Amino acid sequence: MSATATVPVQDAREERRGLRLPGPIALWVVAAASVAISLAREISNNDDLTSANTFGVAIRTAAPIALAGLGGLYAERSGTINIGLEGMMIMGTVFAGWWAWEYNPWMGVLGGVIGGALGGLVHAFATVTFGVNHIVSGFAINILAPGVARFMANLLFEGESGGSVTNSPGASGEIGVFTMPVLSGGPLLGWKDTPDPLGSLADRQWFLVSDIASLLKALTTELRLDLVLVIVLFVASVYVLWRTRFGLRLRSAGERPSAADSLGVSVVFYRYVGMLISGGLAGMAGSVLVIGANRYSQGQTGGRGFLGLATLVVGNWRPAGVAAGAGLFGFFDGITQRIDPGQLILAAILAAAILLAFGIVYSVMQLRPGPALLMAIGGAVLLWVYLTIDEIRSEFVFMAPFVVTLIVVASRGQASRPPAQAGIPWRKGSQN
Amino acid sequence: MRKGKRLLAVSLVAALGLTAAACGDEEDPATTGGDTGTTEGGTATTGATDTTGATDTTGATDTTGATDTTGATDTTGATDTTGVTDTTGVTDTSDSTASTGEITEGLKVAVLFDVTGRGDKSFNDAAAAGLDMAVEDFGVDPTESTPSGEGDRAARLDSAVSGGNELVIGVGFLWTDAVTAGSAASPDTNFAIVDSVVEAENVASLVFAEEQGSFLVGAAAALTSQTGKIGFVGGVPIDLIKKFEAGYIAGAQQINPDIEVISQYISEDPAIGFNDPTRGGELATAMYEDDADVVYHAAGASGAGVFEAAAAAGEPGEVWAIGVDSDQYQSVDANLQPYILTSMLKRVDVAVYETAKDTASGNFTPGIRVFDLSVDGVGYSTSGGFVDDIAPELDDLKQQIIDGEIEVPTVPES
Repeated sequence: MSATATVPVQDAREERRGLRLPGPIALWVVAAASVAISLAREISNNDDLTSANTFGVAIRTAAPIALAGLGGLYAERSGTINIGLEGMMIMGTVFAGWWAWEYNPWMGVLGGVIGGALGGLVHAFATVTFGVNHIVSGFAINILAPGVARFMANLLFEGESGGSVTNSPGASGEIGVFTMPVLSGGPLLGWKDTPDPLGSLADRQWFLVSDIASLLKALTTELRLDLVLVIVLFVASVYVLWRTRFGLRLRSAGERPSAADSLGVSVVFYRYVGMLISGGLAGMAGSVLVIGANRYSQGQTGGRGFLGLATLVVGNWRPAGVAAGAGLFGFFDGITQRIDPGQLILAAILAAAILLAFGIVYSVMQLRPGPALLMAIGGAVLLWVYLTIDEIRSEFVFMAPFVVTLIVVASRGQASRPPAQAGIPWRKGSQN
Repeated sequence: MRKGKRLLAVSLVAALGLTAAACGDEEDPATTGGDTGTTEGGTATTGATDTTGATDTTGATDTTGATDTTGATDTTGATDTTGVTDTTGVTDTSDSTASTGEITEGLKVAVLFDVTGRGDKSFNDAAAAGLDMAVEDFGVDPTESTPSGEGDRAARLDSAVSGGNELVIGVGFLWTDAVTAGSAASPDTNFAIVDSVVEAENVASLVFAEEQGSFLVGAAAALTSQTGKIGFVGGVPIDLIKKFEAGYIAGAQQINPDIEVISQYISEDPAIGFNDPTRGGELATAMYEDDADVVYHAAGASGAGVFEAAAAAGEPGEVWAIGVDSDQYQSVDANLQPYILTSMLKRVDVAVYETAKDTASGNFTPGIRVFDLSVDGVGYSTSGGFVDDIAPELDDLKQQIIDGEIEVPTVPES
């Protein structure tokens, strides 16, 4: 969707010709996508495409993937490639399931962080201290983690009421939900039924207004508190990594470790810290899954750690990009979990076609016929699909989110810029 | 610099490979089994290679290594099996004296579970219960094995055969190819397979009339529903699971021809479909949000999410979930029990037990054996007492099915 629309983005950066849009291009892409999806909703007459419930699933689906991606971001920004995200996430699930059951869900989140950080520590020990190839070490963790998880589950959960070697007993208590007062009708200091303007706006099906209201409604209504924490972590990461001394040093360990070292920054220390944060976030991603399902169950990560890695590439190693990539995947995966996924996917295809039309207009204004032609072909194909197909086969419904991710990774991969020294072992005195 | 790029490329390919592997499985569940016999690489490899192309394949294959690891379970799986054997071993010695005449004690039986293994509180646990019962009643000497993915099924079957087991039972249709190959290679060993048909002189195919049991719980759903809308969550859209869906819909329509049934499946990939409670829960949540008030799942371990979704969707008595395979009321947390209307019982335990018993008494019979309503091979559970008031109607329907007055479809109308 916005996959192809990013083509003009990189073009605009290289050489600017023709018309220039004021402000950051990313905002224009978001705006165009909103209009496109809202138009698609109107044309296909499928209100569920942008309902608050759909956005709710999208957020719950995206959150663990986004968090794993953020974990990968800390690792790679500090110079370590973390293929082991999946394994650390699995460690997170088993610890979270254990502590959420033994104590309470918040302890479960903490347990997830600790479990994942243990994995991160192993990875840091292998890659930073011993200079093991980062890919090999990461895979080793992915191979190790499910075994460790099963072993722990056998010790901890087997024989407990409601537990077994493949799943923990249910969590003790609820983590709680957050509803914004006044905006979404949440309680405020004893005032029970505050107004719900977002809810009533969302129900009105006004062009664009209702769609945005639905999204805000989903973000502010009965949002699980661990998901609120995920959002906070994203905002905090932008600040910490780009506005603090700590962040600068951490990133320097990934960009130019010898320069950092020459200025007295301990590359080894920052790479360890980066890996610990990375593992902790991946583990917390696992705990978000555990809290969502209310229990640990074997294999529940289902490759989400690897998807997190993909969002890192989509998001160009930046928190906002990671969130956007995970959000895109979450949205497409979310609509496959609604009542009529085939129709929703068709509506999304229409939205993509409309977005491409905007992209064509933009490229033409930029006097760039190449991308315009490509987008015209893509848009024509999508439009043809929308107009000729009545019902999408279930096989395609299941692959749709992955296809979208592949397309976006493929188109974004060209323009992305990873940290220069990520994945290269560094020893004191080396010149890289 | 260049090295960095190369590493990045590998990581990218790995990510892509995984994505490809994740969506590579949708061709046909049969292909999943297809790789099993060859023991080469498992399905994921095929999926990954397809999409990533020639040069990248090394990277992609690596990924599969990681995917397969879902099964580093191997080792631990083996460990816990021994643990189980130990405990049960103890019980059976004390019990062995009480066994009956012609049954030979100490029959060596290997049960090969499906991916989740013991502890799914559903399908595999039902098989495990049958084995445990056989251990207790006539002193079977059990071996258990749980595969970690598709790649090691044939090897696990071989080691069960070479371990001197006289009866090897594959639990689940994914064992079809391994059992087909293994039974041909070892004609002196008796095999059994649950949920699938393998035609060979030494294989007993234990199949169930799931549609009949599902018909009854579908009727129970329609009798309980206040909204006239009910849901079905399936693990994987294959013929086997569609039997559940077809029976459920037919049973509901028998009671209320106008009832609306929402059907959804979790994934095309059995490794995910029967193992993803998060997704199972989201599908059920969407159904409850859409005013469905009873949701039936045929999704193995994913069903736990359906039960949680029911508890999140409303008060007990307002919304319901229906379990599958085992009596799931017995295995869920206490706070979820008031939501379990009933469970469709599929007596895999009976099938495993009976087959072991026949073999122990020298009466092993190859061929297809159907467990249906008439032999109580399928049915519905009454724990919790929520269906007590409608039980007469359900039993009436059951009799009509047994008598052939109602023909239950095995394929849902589309």
